[in-house]
Amino acid sequence: MRLFLCALLICLVPLAGHAAADDRGHARLWQAAVVSLEVTRQQYDHLQPWTRQAQPVAKVGVVIASRQILTTATDLQDLTLVRVQKGGRGQWWTGALLWADYFANVALITVDDSDFWKGLKPVALAPRLNPAASARIVRWNAGSFEMRKAEINRFDVTNPGFTDTAHVFAELSAELGGAGWGEPAFDGKRLIGLVFAQIGNVCHTLPAPFIRSIIDARAKPGYRGLGYFDFTWQPTVNPETQRYLRWEGPPRGVVVIDVVERPGTPSVLQPRDLLLEVDAFPIDIQGDYLDPLYGHLMLENLATRNKWAGDPVRLKIWRDARELEVDYLLPEARNAARLVPTAPYDQEPAYVLLGGLVFQPLTRDYLRSWGENWEERAPFRLAYFRNEEPTPRRSGIVILSQVLPDFFNLGYHDLRNLVLERLNQQPVHSLADLVAALAQASDGFHVFDFMKGDSLQRVILDAHQLEAATRRVQQVYGIQQDRVLPRAQAPTGPAPSVQK
Amino acid sequence: MGPGLNPLDPLTHHPHFPTVPKLRFPFLAAVMLCLSCLTVGAASPEQSVVQILNFSQQPLWDSPWRFDQVRRGSGTGFVIKGRRIMTNAHVVSWSKQILVRRYQDPRPYLATVRFIGHDCDLALLEVADERFFEGLEPLDFGPLPTVRSTVVTYGYPAGGEQISYTRGVVSRIELQNYVHIGNRSFLSVQTDAAINPGNSGGPVLQDDLVVGVAFMGIPGLENTGFFIPPPVVEHFLKDIEDGRYDGFPTAGIRIVPLQNPTYRRYLGLNGDSLGARIDSLLPIPATEAVLRPDDVLLKAGDYEVGSDGNVTLDGNRVFAAAAFHSAQHGDSLPLRIWRNRETLELSLPMSTYEDDRVLGNQYDTLPRYLIYAGLVFTPLSQEYMKTLGRDFRALGYAELIYELYYRRAEAPESARPEPIVLASTLAHPANANLRYTSRAVVDRINGLRIERLEDVIRAFDTATNTHHVLELLPNRALETVDRAAADAAHPEILKTYAIPQDRRL
Repeated sequence: MRLFLCALLICLVPLAGHAAADDRGHARLWQAAVVSLEVTRQQYDHLQPWTRQAQPVAKVGVVIASRQILTTATDLQDLTLVRVQKGGRGQWWTGALLWADYFANVALITVDDSDFWKGLKPVALAPRLNPAASARIVRWNAGSFEMRKAEINRFDVTNPGFTDTAHVFAELSAELGGAGWGEPAFDGKRLIGLVFAQIGNVCHTLPAPFIRSIIDARAKPGYRGLGYFDFTWQPTVNPETQRYLRWEGPPRGVVVIDVVERPGTPSVLQPRDLLLEVDAFPIDIQGDYLDPLYGHLMLENLATRNKWAGDPVRLKIWRDARELEVDYLLPEARNAARLVPTAPYDQEPAYVLLGGLVFQPLTRDYLRSWGENWEERAPFRLAYFRNEEPTPRRSGIVILSQVLPDFFNLGYHDLRNLVLERLNQQPVHSLADLVAALAQASDGFHVFDFMKGDSLQRVILDAHQLEAATRRVQQVYGIQQDRVLPRAQAPTGPAPSVQK
Repeated sequence: MGPGLNPLDPLTHHPHFPTVPKLRFPFLAAVMLCLSCLTVGAASPEQSVVQILNFSQQPLWDSPWRFDQVRRGSGTGFVIKGRRIMTNAHVVSWSKQILVRRYQDPRPYLATVRFIGHDCDLALLEVADERFFEGLEPLDFGPLPTVRSTVVTYGYPAGGEQISYTRGVVSRIELQNYVHIGNRSFLSVQTDAAINPGNSGGPVLQDDLVVGVAFMGIPGLENTGFFIPPPVVEHFLKDIEDGRYDGFPTAGIRIVPLQNPTYRRYLGLNGDSLGARIDSLLPIPATEAVLRPDDVLLKAGDYEVGSDGNVTLDGNRVFAAAAFHSAQHGDSLPLRIWRNRETLELSLPMSTYEDDRVLGNQYDTLPRYLIYAGLVFTPLSQEYMKTLGRDFRALGYAELIYELYYRRAEAPESARPEPIVLASTLAHPANANLRYTSRAVVDRINGLRIERLEDVIRAFDTATNTHHVLELLPNRALETVDRAAADAAHPEILKTYAIPQDRRL
């Protein structure tokens, strides 16, 4: 026994020494590529949309090509300044955002000053992830280079940043605190991903092959952005469902239960279609397919696996006891696709102030103003709109979010979170509708009608005194602008541009 | 429903008092101190104050064929004219047996409920044994007490066996949500006299006249008890004169203050003190035939309505809904309305409103259900929601919440008269592969839209396909059950889970 232990120790010592030597060798490569990012962004208070404060965010980047620093897109929206530091200490260099794809959660940053790039060397992105690899998650931490061992637990599919897109991510176990800000993960010399979230000791990591697909696509002209599947399906673990659908083969596929009707584009899918294959990948009864890089993944990933908005996806379905193949066109992932969208990126919150009445579009950012448990704490009816799809009758929601007291709005002071249906008999689905309807005042009155079932159905304001009252409220409450209307947004998020 | 009422509010506090809580010594000391300085009227009203013991058993709303364990609760009552005992409805709800005890009399007497009004939380009991009433003088009712006047409560609260008296002043008089029913508000008197568990149903006296029936407190508020005042009690007593309790009628209007000068000018109203606006109507045909949104309510019955939405009732400013509470079911209430820049004298037919029964606490009627192949279907109700726990919103039952509390008011055209929920699934191989097994609103079964429980029966009974197909909200999630296997499993499941009947309709 003692002999065996000695033999084992003799074997282990060279192995451990070899691993340590590898780490030291790789550390030099990693240190020459990993940089610290200091981001300052506008943080808006959606409950008082005219106010803002500067929010500093510390992130991590990694040089992947000449004058290109890769990081996650998290918290890069509404940025006012980005600075970069190399070597974990010393000078901060002013950077610039090359582009950020918020739906893919990938961004590139550069630094104009050539001196910055001296001593930095790009690292290569791994073409695939080896689940057996002993990875390292690294970052500069208070002047020291921190390297933490990480193991790949599994691959899964996530929706980043409350968007509709879904893509693969790797779950890495690591003894690391405060991660989720773009920390690079390496397997030897190659970058295998960026950490974008952390739950306990589990780091959710954007895999390098997915990142590479986004960078390559953006480098080509006409990038259309990511798409997503806008139909709802459920597993067919109940064999009776397969029998009911008259499927007689071995159990496979999932059943489509809901499809979104897009204006002018009839859906190629119907409820009760059995979805058998997506782009030739067989779908099992759980809704998974076998990915060549990652193993079993939810079929949602096939919407973003080297696919882009507008691309056809070939679906094999079982409908009315017949097998069919249809081409499904991927809808474009964009904020405005939902009835309650995420607020547009890189824009200040929209609002219109009318005589102390504050009107805002209902957005997920507004609902998140209720804090961590906003899904429970935000007004139920407003939060429930998240479950609804836009329709021609209601393409968006404008709410009376609050009333800033003034004698002009006496009697309305306690109103809040009412859904505006019409102004001056004109339907209101957006702030633009609201502003347009102001021209329709009748007999000197503005008539606001709220959603049936709300705690108040109607408010009347004096059209002649409205402007003066609005100015007075602005002055009393220190509000610079009486309105901020949303700008049209590029379909793929912010256009590639260099911030100077 | 008055302004600001939230359909979820009743769950935030539930101050029923029929059970006996643990009490601390400081409380006992305080009560004893009060007793030493109490002066009881010469007529000894305590002779007519009785202790009520109720042995009750409530159904389980998520397993509607079952019952909770038998509970013993105690409350107070008092003898009134006609050899009847008045108490709170919540003292005698879900009763299996009621015993009453007279003042300083060791004998229990059997009592039965003669009338019960769950909306106003009042009940009348009868005792068959003639000896019970020997030597008892019925208590008489007095007027609505004035604010700051002194009242004395009589009752059998927890903390001892003998009758207890507490004294306090009338703090204020307002409309309050009556938590026993949960979704009705009536006139209520707040007092700082201690009203504790066991006091419920006891008389509140002033000059030896009953000026209220103690009925609730609010946990967390000190020196705050509430009693039901004479106008509500008198309404209850008048209602039952025909041998049946109908309940308080509902006007079916939402009254809101009308204080914005522009809105008043828009409606052509002069002055700023009179008239509150009718903002919306409940779908009650008689109300919709008489009133319209944007009518201005100038006077209801004998009471002028202020622009703040209140009326002055015996010197108290209370919400205008109180003016409608004098009407009985079947009465018509005279209204003075401002509409199209002129005054109209109208008459509003008043009747009870049952369509929101499921939004309140339910009593006496056992839950309806159907069990088929282990699938338990029952109507969606507030009682069912309570089985999910107090923080049911946190648990993500948004579809149930919307269907129960919001759809009816917001989209009545798509609302179901009786939304049905798949409450649970009793496990069996015939249903073991279902993914959704509970807490889901049933949209369709075998293609039939489920409007009420009878539709579930019809959908299963008339099926001819090989499979039963259930579509559940949201997103019409699909579940299927082999029909032959389900039919075969059905009696076996009933036997396995000891279910006496597969339905209660």
